[in-house]
Amino acid sequence: MNVLITGAESRLGQAIARELAPGNQLRLWGTGDPPSELGENITYFEGDMRDPDVAWHAVRNMQAIVHTGEPPPNLPEDDLACERELLDLATRGTHVLFKAGIDAGIKRFAYGSTLQIFEAYPDDVYISEMWRPMPSTDKFQLTRYLGEMTAREFARDFPVAVTVLRLGKLIAEEDASPQNPDLMWVDYRDAARAFRLSLNRDSQSELKWNRRFALHHICADIPNPKYLVGQISGFQLRGFQPQHNFETIWRGGGA
Amino acid sequence: MKKVLLLGASGQIAPNIIPAMESHCDFTLADVKPYPDGRPIEHVDMRHYDQVLDAMQGMDAVMNFTVNRPDPILSFHVSTLGALHVMKAAAELGIKKVVHTGPQLVRSYYDQDFEITDVPRAPGTGYYGITKMLSYEICRTYARIYDIQTICFVFNGLGLEPSEPIKGEDFPPFRIFWKDLAHACCLALDIESVPDNYQEFNMVSMTAHQKYTMEKAKRILGYEPAERWENYYKRDV
Repeated sequence: MNVLITGAESRLGQAIARELAPGNQLRLWGTGDPPSELGENITYFEGDMRDPDVAWHAVRNMQAIVHTGEPPPNLPEDDLACERELLDLATRGTHVLFKAGIDAGIKRFAYGSTLQIFEAYPDDVYISEMWRPMPSTDKFQLTRYLGEMTAREFARDFPVAVTVLRLGKLIAEEDASPQNPDLMWVDYRDAARAFRLSLNRDSQSELKWNRRFALHHICADIPNPKYLVGQISGFQLRGFQPQHNFETIWRGGGA
Repeated sequence: MKKVLLLGASGQIAPNIIPAMESHCDFTLADVKPYPDGRPIEHVDMRHYDQVLDAMQGMDAVMNFTVNRPDPILSFHVSTLGALHVMKAAAELGIKKVVHTGPQLVRSYYDQDFEITDVPRAPGTGYYGITKMLSYEICRTYARIYDIQTICFVFNGLGLEPSEPIKGEDFPPFRIFWKDLAHACCLALDIESVPDNYQEFNMVSMTAHQKYTMEKAKRILGYEPAERWENYYKRDV
């Protein structure tokens, strides 16, 4: 499959590229210089996603789009300017990218949202995909959520499969500190695996929009979890089982 | 009398309700284009936070009637980013009342249904609908976190109330007349609080179809149409 991966310079983007490299042709859309080593099946692309001409060139000949939703590295230092940029990228940028993908005939889209939109809930509830998001006004959190809402509407309007992955707090298991265990942790490699599995969804021909759209919470499988993964009927990401569950940290206790 | 900033004052809606509201509140009118009768207004471009913030200084409430419907860039920058600017400024300045506006996103989806109250936001990908839907979510989030009482009026059709019988046609399913909207806006400015700090209200003047109800607006705001406007659409027998 020919797959476009946005946010390719981010650690998540790199993990997804490693996960998808075997057996796929990848176009990495990043910011700045390309990685020093690109495999034969990988090309690098750069440009502003909000420019429809740029987006069109990025999606040409692709069969799937993995839009990580990761913020770019060169955000303005000014707080307001940064927030405006994040909002514009998440909403208009996602819209331009997905619209270009629709025009190019792409049928599979994935978007990386965040589980942090449930942080406002107390820790004594089990958060499944059924709960209403309660984002804060934090610019990274709110804009990521608005990007999710933008992505969702494409499944409503077009015969395409759109998968939203609400990712926990990304971290490498080996970097996790036992002093501050987090109920929302997810390892980059498991998140990348979830993106790969999301591309297996073949639901673009479903008549009902809510079957073309899928929403999954992605975090580690820990004892006594607050954030449940795949426990609601219809919300399982087929084949997903986290491999990095921070067992040395959570062993013997829960939250 | 409350000091109220009206953003989008020169648009398609506000000039039709301002005269009926001016005895109720002290307006400052703002827009990027001239007011229809040449009345002076403040120039406020919703894309610029400093302009929105400056205009909101000293206000008790803000009414946001701004929109850009069709433009791929301006729709995001006016409807979505503009809403963010209003709510950020309200949070920064301690303004506790915002009246937001936008389309009822899915009216025709329910043309075969009845007794409809609030419906899921399902705008699709058109610029008008999706950018306003995003603005609703921004308003809801800021309202919740900063205790900004935010009333969001959703429309599907607006116009001048009838003054004489209308023969040979039915009334539209989701329409509010200027007189009723002005009244609803006054109620929104007066109400102390709304559940969860944010509520959307269908703005309708006629409900004889038993399609979209005004029950929620009646229950929370005390809204009722000035007249039973359906009576203007009576068939002679």
